[in-house]
Order: sequence, then C-alpha cells, then structure tokens
Amino acid sequence: MFIPLIVGAATSLFAGRPGEGYYVGLANFVEILTARGGPLLATGSFWFVLLVTFLWTAVNVVLHLGIGLALGLVLSRPTLRLRALYRVLLILPWAVPSYVTALAWKGMFHQQYGAVTGLIYAINDWFGASIEPIAWFSRFATAFAANVATNVWLGFPFMMVVTLGALTAVPADVLEAAEVDGATRWQRLTRVTLPMIRPALAPAVTLGAIWTFNMFNVVFLVSGGDPDGSTDILVSEAYRWAFTREAQYGYAAAYAVLIFLLLLVTTRLPAWLARKGAGR
Amino acid sequence: MSPSGQGRKVSLAESIGAHLLLVVAVAFALYPLLWVVSLAFSGAVEPTPRVLPVPLEPTLEHLRGVAFSTLEVPGEPDRWLFGLQLANSIVISLATALVGVVIAVPTAYALARFEFVGKEGGVRALLATQMFPAVASAIPLYIILDGLGLLGTRSGLVLCYATTAVPFAIFQLRGAFETIPRDLEEAAMVDGATRFEAFRKVVLPAARPAIAVTALFAFMSAYNEFVLAHTMLGREEMYTVPVVLQRYISEFSADWPKFAAGSLIVSIPVMILFYIAQRHLIAGLTAGGVKG
Amino acid sequence: MVAVTARTIVKRFGATEVLRGVDVHVPHGGFAVLVGPSGCGKSTLLRLLAGLEEVTSGEIRFGDRDVTRLAPRDRDIAMVFQSYALYPHLTVRDNLAFGLGLRKTDAATIASRVTEVSAMLGLDHLLDRLPRALSGGQRQRVAMGRAIVRRPQLFLFDEPLSNLDAALRAQVRVEIRKLHDQLGATSVYVTHDQVEAMTLADQIFVLNRGVVEQVGPPREVYEHPRTRFVAGFLGSPAMNFIDGVQVAAGGLALPGGQTLAVRDPAPFGAALQPGRTVSLGVRPHDFVVRPDAPDLVVDVELVELLGPELQIHARLGGALLTVCLDSQSGVARGDRLPLAVRALHLFDPATGLSLRA
Ligand SMILES: Nc1ncnc2c1ncn2[C@@H]1O[C@H](COP(=O)(O)OP(=O)(O)OP(=O)(O)O)[C@@H](O)[C@H]1O
Ligand SMILES: [Mg+2]
Repeated sequence: MFIPLIVGAATSLFAGRPGEGYYVGLANFVEILTARGGPLLATGSFWFVLLVTFLWTAVNVVLHLGIGLALGLVLSRPTLRLRALYRVLLILPWAVPSYVTALAWKGMFHQQYGAVTGLIYAINDWFGASIEPIAWFSRFATAFAANVATNVWLGFPFMMVVTLGALTAVPADVLEAAEVDGATRWQRLTRVTLPMIRPALAPAVTLGAIWTFNMFNVVFLVSGGDPDGSTDILVSEAYRWAFTREAQYGYAAAYAVLIFLLLLVTTRLPAWLARKGAGR
Repeated sequence: MSPSGQGRKVSLAESIGAHLLLVVAVAFALYPLLWVVSLAFSGAVEPTPRVLPVPLEPTLEHLRGVAFSTLEVPGEPDRWLFGLQLANSIVISLATALVGVVIAVPTAYALARFEFVGKEGGVRALLATQMFPAVASAIPLYIILDGLGLLGTRSGLVLCYATTAVPFAIFQLRGAFETIPRDLEEAAMVDGATRFEAFRKVVLPAARPAIAVTALFAFMSAYNEFVLAHTMLGREEMYTVPVVLQRYISEFSADWPKFAAGSLIVSIPVMILFYIAQRHLIAGLTAGGVKG
Repeated sequence: MVAVTARTIVKRFGATEVLRGVDVHVPHGGFAVLVGPSGCGKSTLLRLLAGLEEVTSGEIRFGDRDVTRLAPRDRDIAMVFQSYALYPHLTVRDNLAFGLGLRKTDAATIASRVTEVSAMLGLDHLLDRLPRALSGGQRQRVAMGRAIVRRPQLFLFDEPLSNLDAALRAQVRVEIRKLHDQLGATSVYVTHDQVEAMTLADQIFVLNRGVVEQVGPPREVYEHPRTRFVAGFLGSPAMNFIDGVQVAAGGLALPGGQTLAVRDPAPFGAALQPGRTVSLGVRPHDFVVRPDAPDLVVDVELVELLGPELQIHARLGGALLTVCLDSQSGVARGDRLPLAVRALHLFDPATGLSLRA
C-alpha cells in the first residue's frame, strides 16, 4: 500500500518523459512553487490552483455537512411517514457510479440542450421573464458552481447516512432529560444532539474533506477545468501534467507529493495544537 | 402547556415542512438520474432542452446497441464484447472486495485488539495513504505494474485498486471490531474456543454488517473507477465498463443516448448491492472507521 | 469438581501491581466469594483463575493439575460475566449449545442437555429468540444456563447479579445457591454486595488493595473481623468507629466523659492496658436498650423507620453513632437513649489490626 506512495515520491525528483528521466533533485518543486517564473497568482499557477482547491473543499464540505445533517435529522424523526422510502431514494446518488452522474450533470449544464437551460426556458414561459441560457463553462463562477452542484449531489448521501448512524447513538433519555430541564427543541438540537454526534461526525468530515480535496472525477468530467484551466483543482492539474502535457511524470508526481504534504499537515494540525495545548 | 405534551405532538405544519424538505431533496437526488434513464430510452435524434425527463419517441435501440456490441476479430467467431466488459468489471470489483476484506480483517482485528510497538503510527500512516491522490498514484502504479509485467492485466488492476481499498477497509473495520465487547471473545474462550475460534465464531459474525459494508465500498470503488482503468488497460476486450462508457462520449463523438443506456445497465448491479446492504449501511458505517 | 488453589499470586499491569501475593484455597465443591471495594482486584483474580490473564508470578492448581499456564479452554471452567456476554448473533438455544459444539459433543447429547438446562431455568419458551429480544433477567438466566450446560469443574461468576433489580436479585441469589448445592461444583463468585457475600459463601475472601485481608466462613468474618477494614466493609449499616479512645482503669473513656465497661475483657488480653489509645468499633445491631443499667447514654438526632427496625442516628459527645433497634422500641428525636453494648471490637489505631487475641 505504501509502495506507490514511495515510488511516487521518488518520481517527483526526476524530469523528462518516462523512460528518459534524469535526476533533477528538488527542481520540480522549486518550479512549481515559483509558478515557473510567472506571476504567482496567474491562472494555472500552483498558488492559484491551491486557492481554488481550498475554496472548492470548503464550499463542498459545508454543503455536504449542512444538507446531510438536515436530512439526517429530519429522517430520524420517529413520527415521519415513508421514512424507509425517502431513505432509499436519498441514498441513490451514492449508489450510481460517480462518472455517470458527473457526465449526466455535465449534460444538464449544456448550454443548448441541457435540462438547466430547459428549466430556464420554462421559467421564462411561466413568469414571462427573459433569462438567457447560461454558458455555464465559459465563466469561472458558473463553472465552479456547476462543479459544486455535482459534487454536493454526489456527497450528501454519505453525510446523511453518517448522521443517521450517529443519531442512533443518542439515547432518548438524554433528550428527555433536557426536555424536562426546559430546553426548547432548538436548544435540544444545538446543546445536546449536535455535541453528542460530533465525535462520530468529525472523522467523517475529515475523510470527506480529504476525498473532496482529491475529487478528480467531478472537476475533470464536468467542467474539465474550463474556462481555461481556472476551475482545475490540484489533482486535476497533476493529471494534466502527467497525461496531457507530454507526460511530465516527475512534475506531476511533485504535485502529488505537495498535495499529500498539504493534507497531512492540515489534518494533523488540530491534533498537534491540541497536544501542545494539553502539554502546557 | 407541559413541555412533554409539546414534545410528543407533532404539529401539522411541522410535518408538512419535513415532507416538503424531503421531497425537494428527493427531487434533487433523482432528477439527474431520471435524465439518464430518459435519455437511454429516447429515440429523438435532435436533443432539445426540456424540463421533464420523459423520453421522446421511446425506443430500446440504444440499450440494445450497447448491450449487444460485439468484438469482431477476422477469422474468429464474434464475441459478445459488452458481456466481456461487464464481466471484467464485475470480476475485478469482486476480486478487489475480496482481497480488501481478506487483508483488512486480520489487520484491523490486530489493530483493534492487540498492543504492539508502532501501532499508533501504523494507524496514522493508513489514514495518510488516503491523502495521496488516487490519480497521482496512477503514475507510480503504472511504473510498478510495468516492472511486474502486469500492465494491461486484470490482476494488475486489482492490485492497483487494492492499494487504495485496503487502507480504507482496515480503517473501517478496526472501528467495528473495537465496538465488539471483549467479554464476548472471553466468554467463547472460557467456553472452550481457541483464540482463532473465538474470532471466527463470535467476532466475525458480530462484525458482519460492518464487513458487508466494507466489502461494498471496496467493490464500488473498483467498479466506479475509470482513471486507472483507462490508463492501465490496453485492449478493448479487457476494458471495464467505465472505460467503455467514457468512450461513447469521447471528444470526437458524443453519443449521449448510448452512454445513458450503458450507464443504466451498469448501475443496476450496484443498485442491487446497495439495496441489499442498505439495512446494514447505517449500522456498519457507525461501527466502522468513520469513528476514527 | 475440583479444589482450587492459588499460591502467592502477583499480577502487574505495567508498573501497577494489582494483586500483591494473594493466596486462595477453595475446597472441592466449595463456594468462595471474593468481596472488596471497587478496584481492589477481584475481577483480575477471577480472570487469572479463568486464564483470561496471565499471572506475573505465582501458581494456580485445580486439584492436582497445574493450570497456571493453560489457556481458558483447557481449564474446564465456565464463567458468567457481569455483561452476560451473550453471543448477539445466536439464538438462546445456540448460545447454550455453543460451548458443547466447540467440544464436538454429539448432537443428541447437546439437545438433551439444552433441554434439561432450559427446563431447570425456565427458558423453554425463549429458546429461539435472539439475546436482544430478552429482558435483563432472562439474559442473566441464559448466561447462567450457558455455564451450567457445560458441566464444568469450576464455575466463575463476576458480579452476575449487578444488572438486576433488587427483587430479582434476591430471587436469583437463592437460585444460584440451590443450583450450586444441586450440582456440587466448585464456585468462585465476585461481588461487592455484602448480602450476596454473606448468604452465598462457604468462605468469604475479603480483598483490599491487592491482598487478602481475611478469609473465613461468613459468620466468623462478620463476628470476628481481623482488621478494621474488614470490620467496616462487611455489615450494613457499617460498624460505628470511635477513634482515640483511652483505656482507663474502669473501662474505655468515651467522648463526652462517659466510660464504657468492657464486660468480657478476656479475649483482648494484654491489649487493655490502662493508658493505651485504641479504636472502638460497635455494630449498629449490637446495641440494645437498657434503661436500668446502661453502658452508655446517647442523644437521638434522627430516627428513620425502615419497616421492621429503626435506624437511629445519635450523638455521643463529639461522635456520631448509628443504632439499629426494633421498630417497636418507641424512640423519638431528642430522646436520651440508654444503651447496652452486646459486642465490641477494638483495633490498633496504627496498624488497623484487631486487638482480639
Ligand atoms: N488491563 C489492565 N491494564 C491496566 N490496569 C488494569 C487492567 N485491568 C485492571 N486494571 C486495574 O487493576 C485494578 C483492579 O481491577 P479489577 O477489575 O480487578 O477491580 P475490581 O475489584 O473487579 O473492581 P470492581 O468492583 O469495580 O469491578 C484496577 O485499579 C484497574 O484499574
Ligand atoms: Mg470487577
């Protein structure tokens, strides 16, 4: 399991096409981090892509968690009818291969034939509005939004199921105790339920964040980086270097190593800080 | 009004609100899927933007076209290409699930039950493997497989998938084993079981939901994967279905109805598995690695 | 059915020494109860007997067999866990049959034993249920049944009744003792409930901080505790202690200026030298009302009616005493109550050892 990691890390020290690579030490990293001499925040530079990636991860995780939690909470109400049916239907997006749905979403965002354009026409018809069909992939904001919509769609069932699972571990008597103590429904949710499911949710959120950070399929298949590579995240950028821009494996591997280090540091940071805090 | 009276009664407005929220969510969840379905059955040549996903001029032609694609090799009888490819996918995914579970179960059990040097570090390293982007490991995997002479083979691909499926499975199962009380194994050992028998007859059955879910995840991760498959598999009869589907809408020819039809067929096995496992899903996930 | 002997058992977990040289002997067919405060090592000792933990040093023998290093399965024992540890995926019937199945017992024997045991414990109608569909009491029974069905040489119980309500606990307690007498197997039973300890045991082992403080039949341990710890641990309500009591010529100088005459000084021998300081212990039930010639007089501060008896909280000088009297004795708050002492205990204030010779 660790071999690919190690080989990958080693590859990052070489340059050139496969088979004819030569050792360049850390030159790949230097080039990446200095944006190949260009302006640091230009489209396609490491730092720009990094910003996009963080934005991408943050927006997605917040939406996943928000939607997943809300649905999980609603679905866990014992009085709800058709619970099982709703649950099955809502888990469906998770069960469909992600490339299928990614492409389906891309189709829906098609400027001429897409269902979203259909919706816009329908709104125009019903309300007499005159919204133009949107060329989703020609502007950063809309292309990014399309990616997010797709990925949220893909990811919320996981969070919902995790929430449902975590909620089964909240004993009814604790909630009843809070109720007797005079907590309102909202207070019970925020002061009892959420704190109690937090330990179960936290690792899921971490994992979800890691997955999103590396969510290649959606970005590659939906926007494909359009317009002009601006919606690319680090992973899809690495892929481009490896497979479309003359197979610069070393360069791509250096990207991968950077991604790995970034994730490692960000996910370990809270624990390190906690330990430091506790050590005092 | 007494607080308990307030808690029991669910007001009409509230219940309507809940259903409204759920219906909207379900619509959001199903809409793209319905599009795929409708497209698969749609006979209309010229696509037009529409709101409702109902097929125009319904036809089974696309489904047939995808499902009965054949491999024509001069001098040999035609072979059922799509069948081969679907079988590839299923075999590879099953193998991945099997390898994943077989390796992960004992490892996760050891991590959950025994104390040994470097245990904490090992667990952290496992999580770290999840951080190395799968796409990026395509390159090293390519080099390794090339070295092993496994490039373009099914076993090679299974090996690739196992490298990502196993750590996640270990992570998942360790949590599950930790929730099984030690008392159970001890009771079995007092009852006359060896350590291994206690594991096999008591721990494994108790962990079955979690194992099922873990296997399902491993299966899905392999079944859905296309970057590695696309990179590693050379010949058409070796393709897994994601690669096949992707080729229907390559940059040169975008045959959406065929793609949709293929997606439909391909999704069915996973849906069935999901439906079977759905009972275990919540329990399995809670007990599992998602608990860290 | 074997005698169980454990010699100088030491058990360490890392640096903490949980058992510090424990000796246990339970004769063939005996019922030994291990009691002690929480964390004193009772469960650990039991698990060592079961083979679920390994001794750091010492020796365990069942009869003339050295089992110190044997795996649990080779010791021929059965254990009832506090959590019951029923196999969640097996029906009651399969839970009962599990151990026999492992030993390759033939199906007919298994079936007849399961039937026999389930009849004995009233489990017949539950045989096809899963554990999660049982009440707490029913689960407890299945756990018992699982132990009995194997007909082991030795039964081990770790607080098997602590998850039951009081009424059920009393009932099952009686059943356990009956079963023991009927089966004649050797049993070791851990509890921190002293009623269980007193009623079930042939021999009580009182553990404290990893050592056995006293061993003996319940009556002896109760009437002649060897240490202040044992005296205070067994008995409910707990024994009254008055510290810093001076031995005077006519008896013991109590707080508040009264003197308690020791009626039968013989057992204490030389310990009753005038001028010496001792700790005095009197059980609440060892007081009787004696208006004519009281040993001491106390001030009643609170009276609680517990059905058949009164529990009286009284003051003697600066000391607080608990006194249990018959509910008909008509004591009220504010009374000055004349009492006689039926039995008293004296302890060395430094070592805590009983001064009885
Ligand atoms: N595996 C272990 N590792 C470290 N310490 C342990 C372990 N098991 C038990 N101990 C410690 O040994 C001591 C005795 O534990 P034990 O479970 O025997 O207590 P006990 O007498 O059964 O208490 P209780 O009445 O609460 O069940 C405790 O201080 C406990 O913390
Ligand atoms: Mg204990």
